[in-house]
Amino acid sequence: MALSRRTGRSRFTLVLLILTSVTVLTLDFRGSGTINTLRDGASAVFDPVRGGAEHVFGPVGDAWNGVWHYGDVRKENERLRAELDTVKGQQAQQQDAQKQLQVISDLDKISQWTTLNGVDARIVAGPLTNFEHTLEIDKGSNDGIAVDMPVVTGAGLVGRISEVEKSRSVVKLMTDPDVVVGVRLLSSQETGLMHGTGDGQPLMIDEGIGPKVPVPPNELVTTSGEDRAAYPPNVPIGTVRTSTLSSDQLQQVLTVDPLADLGNLTIVKVLLWQPSP
Amino acid sequence: MRAVRLASVIFVLVTLQTTLMADLAIRGTCADIVMLLPIAVGIVHGREEGAIAGFASGLVLDLVVHGTPAGFFALGYTLTGYIVGITHGTVLRAAWWIPVLTAVGGSVVGVTTLGVLAKMVGLEGYLNNHLIVVALVVAVVNGALVLPMLRVVRWALPTATGSGRLVLS
Repeated sequence: MALSRRTGRSRFTLVLLILTSVTVLTLDFRGSGTINTLRDGASAVFDPVRGGAEHVFGPVGDAWNGVWHYGDVRKENERLRAELDTVKGQQAQQQDAQKQLQVISDLDKISQWTTLNGVDARIVAGPLTNFEHTLEIDKGSNDGIAVDMPVVTGAGLVGRISEVEKSRSVVKLMTDPDVVVGVRLLSSQETGLMHGTGDGQPLMIDEGIGPKVPVPPNELVTTSGEDRAAYPPNVPIGTVRTSTLSSDQLQQVLTVDPLADLGNLTIVKVLLWQPSP
Repeated sequence: MRAVRLASVIFVLVTLQTTLMADLAIRGTCADIVMLLPIAVGIVHGREEGAIAGFASGLVLDLVVHGTPAGFFALGYTLTGYIVGITHGTVLRAAWWIPVLTAVGGSVVGVTTLGVLAKMVGLEGYLNNHLIVVALVVAVVNGALVLPMLRVVRWALPTATGSGRLVLS
């Protein structure tokens, strides 16, 4: 009798907790101010503690990453040395091309993303759990950063700002399936829509590229910057890895390898650019 | 007093999760030591208490992390604590490895639950083969840490004398 009463009570508690959780989920999806206030309160409590803990545990993390990535770092070092030699040779040619591009851009009043003002920021935390595609950076609204600003590295697009506090911001990586980017293929100038497919997975363009559009191997993909686009034009994103026809044969599905090394970011640049309303 | 101790344990676990454990990620997969709390409470005190501990710890984690909606971890850890707590009283605890095995199994259940919940709330890109790697990493780490965590839980939430029930007062 006592056992069945206890079982009934524990089930009642379970249902109550589930309903409470679902209510919290619903409130957050609706953008409830209460949840945001609670989050701000939690940040106020945890951020200083986490900052201190980062100082203590930072060296441990560095040592750990050194052990796990030693082989990768050596290989990458060799690859980068080879690339550097190639780049040195190309640099002279590119300087000339850059000048010509600048002249054309000035004439056409096309904004180049490399000329946009930006704020350099350091990554202070990667994904905190296994169910996030976000990073935290050490700059916030005090530095002019606002929600939806694009985040880049020298290689190309990384993601966009999803939350801003005074001295910290959260970057939603473009590997997040919720992040959709208007893109353009370099050689054909065809535009389409790209989204993430999860950590370590290639990006995917599955809208806008017709079945007869030629897509050369390693085709460069950039942001399209079309009217009211969420990103400035011509920011490099990645190179096409594979191209297949969709199941209805009406368009191509392209997988894209990002140019930015999203797994090993340390410094990023937040472009002080916001989509036009 | 118990509530204060439980809050302290949650505070330390969430801090460790969002600093040390996030830093110790291997190829994007990190341990989940906050999940260890509902698992340990479920083992020591049973399903109701496991669910309560899961809800409390999950809600705090929800308010600290940014990439998931609030309530996501609260719901996932509530179910994890409850499911693990079902084993309470059904096995003899003479062998040290039984809680370890329970923690390993509970972690796999917990990660799978979170993966399914992620899909249900519209978080794409998690319910895939990578979830197996996540489950393995979380299970191994939680299996290794469950014995000290059981001691922490017994300190934070001692069984009330006479009643055999957990009282958060």
